[in-house]
Amino acid sequence: MSGFKPKIVGFLCNWCSYAGADSAGNRKMTYPAEFEVVRIMCSGRADPQLVLKAFSEGADGVAVFGCHPGDCHYKEGNYKAFTRYHLLRKLLPDLGIPAERLRLEWISASEAGRFVEAVKEFHARLVAMGPLHANKKDREAGNG
Amino acid sequence: MAPTALFLCECGPNIGERLRIGDLAAAAAGWEGVKLVARHPLLCSAEGRQYVEEELRKSGCDRAVFGACSPKEHEKTFRGCMAAACANPFMMQMVNLREQCAWTTDDVAEATHKGIDLLRAGARRVLAQEPLEQKKIDAESTVLVVGAGVAGMEAALTLAQKGRQVYVVEKQPCVGGFANRLAEVCPGMECGSCMLEPKLDRLLHSDNIKVLTYTEIDEVLGYYGNFKVKLRTRPRHVDPGNCFGCDECVKACPVTNVRNEYTDGMNTRRAIYFAYPGALPNLPVIDHESCLRFKGQECTACAAACPFQAIDYKQEEVVTEISVGAVVLATGFRPFDVSRVPGLGHGRIPEVYSSIEFEHMLNTSGPTGGEIRRKDGTAPKSIAFVHCAGSLSAEYNDYCSGTCCTNTMKLLHLAHKKLPDAALTDVHGELVYPGKGQVDLAREVAKEGVQFLRTADPNRVTVTASGKGCKLVVPAVNGSGKATTIEADMVVLAAGMEPGTDTVRLASMLGVTTDRFGFYKEGHNRLGAVETNIIGVQIAGCGRGPADIQGSVVQGGAAAGRILSALVPGEKLELEAAVASADEDVCGGCKMCIAVCPYKAITTDPAKGVAVVNAALCQGCGTCAATCPSGAMQARHFTNMALFAEIGGLIR
Repeated sequence: MSGFKPKIVGFLCNWCSYAGADSAGNRKMTYPAEFEVVRIMCSGRADPQLVLKAFSEGADGVAVFGCHPGDCHYKEGNYKAFTRYHLLRKLLPDLGIPAERLRLEWISASEAGRFVEAVKEFHARLVAMGPLHANKKDREAGNG
Repeated sequence: MAPTALFLCECGPNIGERLRIGDLAAAAAGWEGVKLVARHPLLCSAEGRQYVEEELRKSGCDRAVFGACSPKEHEKTFRGCMAAACANPFMMQMVNLREQCAWTTDDVAEATHKGIDLLRAGARRVLAQEPLEQKKIDAESTVLVVGAGVAGMEAALTLAQKGRQVYVVEKQPCVGGFANRLAEVCPGMECGSCMLEPKLDRLLHSDNIKVLTYTEIDEVLGYYGNFKVKLRTRPRHVDPGNCFGCDECVKACPVTNVRNEYTDGMNTRRAIYFAYPGALPNLPVIDHESCLRFKGQECTACAAACPFQAIDYKQEEVVTEISVGAVVLATGFRPFDVSRVPGLGHGRIPEVYSSIEFEHMLNTSGPTGGEIRRKDGTAPKSIAFVHCAGSLSAEYNDYCSGTCCTNTMKLLHLAHKKLPDAALTDVHGELVYPGKGQVDLAREVAKEGVQFLRTADPNRVTVTASGKGCKLVVPAVNGSGKATTIEADMVVLAAGMEPGTDTVRLASMLGVTTDRFGFYKEGHNRLGAVETNIIGVQIAGCGRGPADIQGSVVQGGAAAGRILSALVPGEKLELEAAVASADEDVCGGCKMCIAVCPYKAITTDPAKGVAVVNAALCQGCGTCAATCPSGAMQARHFTNMALFAEIGGLIR
């Protein structure tokens, strides 16, 4: 189990969190390579369908990162993301997905450290939880 | 399916040495749609860009994936290459191999593995992308400025240079705003109306500016480039063509006891009146509510007295419709009503005045002829000034207006000049003298013998009547210390600024959001200081938050500049291409998208009952698409199809 590499899809808003992830790269801060990003313009675009699609495709964890409350480039999209996050946390267990496999964070463009910390923490949590899709033996074996 | 060209940039050693590009190229060669896999040492260089264009042309690919740096770095560069090669610039996808892959791990194998995932996601996504068209619309270049105070005037004058047409709408019968009524202005003690006179003159006599006083906005329809505005001008009952402002009508008016709103009721006026001495345009106005004629009596005193037949009782309200491309909201502030803080005694104790009332007293053409006088007509021997009435207080306004401390210094200085023997005390919690030159005045006042007394919160000072004057109990700075008691013949309370009375009404008419204090909310509180959430609606002056005259002028100029550079006569407006669009065959008309749109960009087509997106207003955030229960609303370039393809590609 120690070799388990969880697959993580992160939906990052273009203006704050995606720039924060770029900034982590610029500073050569390392974090688990299993965290892979889909850029969206606003965390308010993070349709619950996108999150569910990521889980159904085989993600072990899904992250939605947006601008801090009050900082949204589009005024209030992050508040929409926030309410949808809580909706999803209620919905996911009914689909057999523990709510802890979804993570919402506010990360600004300058918060490279916070970004890396959030990714590492989430990654560690998912490693501890083990694979969501038990049939994906290849990834469990750590050679995926 | 149209073929895809997949470009891999080595970015020198940045990508080239940190992941195995050969492995990426080999993996990509077999993917659906990929016709060409091309590797280059530095794609963003002039030579690299030329290489991209040539390869696109040669291969006949009309889609492309760029495995390179962050899209924030070079998406625009490669979109340019696409356009140069006659491909649609939106038929490409940047894959962030540098900032979010090569630079985030020291393990080449891990980076290579992640790079293949990211690249596969990009290759799948680009197959689901659609070409987008950069649309252009006709736009009106005339501008509406709401409010003729210093901010609105500056905006109008800046706009009107070089022939731009401007409407200035002012609800008062005169222009110049609050600053024009100040006898002396901080910190240099200039006379407000003398300082403003040249600008007011240009405003009222410019061929390109139409000033509509006594006028309010009734309705605003449309959007950036195409606003339709309905204006309602109240009848002044004075013909501006005939009136010379001689004052004979005012002298003849038998109604003498109307509360003068321009002195906050410190004296009275007639039913026909000039707003204040020197108010421009130099025209009186008949106040319907007080005029005997409009109460059914047969009075014609003013018309009889007028030597030029300028009085016109039949004048009616006029509704005008105008078309403008942009709007500047410069609607100003109203002073905080200091009587709302009960302990400070205003309205209850005769000798407690607001700073505005005290200002009226200092004005030589004001109610006391420029003398500081108590209600019994005597000069006060002592005056206590209390800062921050209603400011920096969770109960009232929890912000600092940034102007009242310096203004209080001005009042102290002028009080000392007029009454050199009076004992002056300054009671404050904080003292704020921002920027250049303001503290100089405070230093001078300190030399004039003013006693400064600090307390924790001036709103906790209690003022009671004491003989013919007042007694102030000033709590100590630290809560447990002993309070100080002061006797003063007169108390002056420094009033901060609140949003003008029309702020909320205009904001809701235009769809502009307001902040928690009720001011117009800036598009971005630092970088978008004169914008709002509604494109084409700019803000300047105290309607967007407390400002001094200089700040208001700067904002007025900035708001005008934004419009001048974006809305050019004869040029079309280029719209954002990656905006939302609703599929009318799928839309059920539930209007959920309308509720979540922060830009009021969505309306319902009245005939079809379906959502329609206004591309001039939409900023492409995609919140509507995430909300739409039927999938009718799509965020172009970030469609569900494209994002699903990308997600699938990441995981494989």
